[in-house]
Amino acid sequence: MRFDHNIMIHINNLSYRYPDGTLTLEGVDISIDRGEFVAIMGPNGCGKTTLVRHLNALLMPTAGSVSVFGMDTKDMSKVWNIRQTVGMVFQNPQTQFVGTTLEEDVAFGPENLGLPQNEIRKRVDRALLEVRLMEYKTHAPKTLSGGQMQRAAIAGVLAMEPECIVFDEVTSMLDPESRQMILDTIQQLHQSGKTIIYVTQRIEEILPLADRIVSMQDGRIEFMGTPHEYLASVGSHVPAITSLMRKLKEKGFDVRDDVFAVDDAFLEIIKACRMVEKENIDDE
Amino acid sequence: MNELFLSYIPKNSPLHRLDPRTKLVALMVISIFVLQTVTFSGLGLFAASFIMLAYFSRVNAGTFSHSIQPMLVFFVFIFLMHLFLTEGEIIFRIGPFRPTFDGLITGTIVTTRFMLLILFASLFTATTRPTMIAYGIERMIRFVPLKRIGISSFDIATMMSLSIRFVPVLLDNARQIRYAQISRGLDIRHNILRSVSTTITPMIRESLQTADDLAIAMESRCYQGKYRTSLFELRMGAMDWGVLGGISCVVFLFFLLR
Ligand SMILES: Nc1ncnc2c1ncn2[C@@H]1O[C@H](COP(=O)(O)OP(=O)(O)OP(=O)(O)O)[C@@H](O)[C@H]1O
Ligand SMILES: [Mg+2]
Repeated sequence: MRFDHNIMIHINNLSYRYPDGTLTLEGVDISIDRGEFVAIMGPNGCGKTTLVRHLNALLMPTAGSVSVFGMDTKDMSKVWNIRQTVGMVFQNPQTQFVGTTLEEDVAFGPENLGLPQNEIRKRVDRALLEVRLMEYKTHAPKTLSGGQMQRAAIAGVLAMEPECIVFDEVTSMLDPESRQMILDTIQQLHQSGKTIIYVTQRIEEILPLADRIVSMQDGRIEFMGTPHEYLASVGSHVPAITSLMRKLKEKGFDVRDDVFAVDDAFLEIIKACRMVEKENIDDE
Repeated sequence: MNELFLSYIPKNSPLHRLDPRTKLVALMVISIFVLQTVTFSGLGLFAASFIMLAYFSRVNAGTFSHSIQPMLVFFVFIFLMHLFLTEGEIIFRIGPFRPTFDGLITGTIVTTRFMLLILFASLFTATTRPTMIAYGIERMIRFVPLKRIGISSFDIATMMSLSIRFVPVLLDNARQIRYAQISRGLDIRHNILRSVSTTITPMIRESLQTADDLAIAMESRCYQGKYRTSLFELRMGAMDWGVLGGISCVVFLFFLLR
């Protein structure tokens, strides 16, 4: 089979039905480029988790197909290759921490790959440096905070050296500070060339980071496009800053209403105020 | 259960540096010999060697007393059983109770044996990382044909590490569920049966959920239950061979002298 090296993941007309009969995904089509940052959003139970679990062959399509770098996830001989290419970080920090110390947990993946001891050591140390947890490496899980455990989970995935990392609501159990730290780490990974798929309920945390936003509803894709297209086309569920700008515009201020960053909004508002001042002076 | 019971105490001592397999073999041999000992002098010898090893391990004495404490009731029970139920010369009589001198002696010996077993075991766990214990056992049983019953030595090692990791988590969950029930007005003292059933049902559900999440996380990190390597390489050094040689000599001499 031929495939384009720039396409990381190709999802073609994917449908999924759980064994108990609930149809959770229906006709999902997405193609994700190498190095892209894709955010997946949508209300509880719309099928985000179900969708991303197809990406490293934890779930198999009921209909349609999913391929990773041209490898079909239904091809049993490619499963380990696919799981090495697409790493996954889950929501609950507790239940994905399998080691009795931090470094043992990070080593879990490379150990499963059967790598020699010195290579495991190298990868573990590199991954721990990257998430800035080196000084905690012999700590037991009960002495780590939720945020540290979640960064440990990222390190555990990094140690397998994946091309693509999926984050399934990884910040939902964390305090704002830890959340920001995780987001910074993810942004760094994206800048270093990794493909990022980020599932979240918080629109404001990914608008500044994502290249593309996928919004789901009842197992279907409802919207797909850039953050600006998202704001232009979606009425509800926008960040507070955007709502503010929309209100200002309604009142006749000449501001763009598709901004979501505080700095951009600030500049827009300042500009509009200057304009108003100038008009007042001209009137006099 | 007490968190310090049989816990690992990271230190840099000769005992910590020994290969887990050496320590496992030593622990097994010592346990067998302790259970065979019938004289006070023999037990004294073991107690002395324990104190010496504990000193070399640089683990503080508190750790060992934490390992003994939860077993105290058991020790007292064993001692009283022997004291009152052994036939022999009676010390005194109060109603039906007739402690004997023979009972006093056997009771002391048996209780001391169990204490020594616990102490040596806690010395082992204090000086060996939990995962290293698991890896050590894995290496020792790798040649056993477990395939026939559908598991591998790697599965067993992983299961052991996971139990060490998750038993405290599950206990913690149980405690939280209990608090939740109490805060909703369940009187635990007056209705023990009900309190057990209302605690156990959510606990099982919670445990199954944890197991499910864990399995998915492990699978997505390529866990296959087949051959895997380890961050810690087990390597038998000169010290290990020396210790094993010493143990063999002692065992050999013992059978020779008997
Ligand atoms: N193991 C399962 N068996 C049957 N149905 C399931 C199973 N897991 C999830 N579902 C159902 O599939 C639907 C989608 O679930 P999914 O977890 O993918 O949603 P989600 O978008 O990730 O939600 P959340 O925001 O709560 O994480 C839900 O209606 C859920 O009840
Ligand atoms: Mg989900």
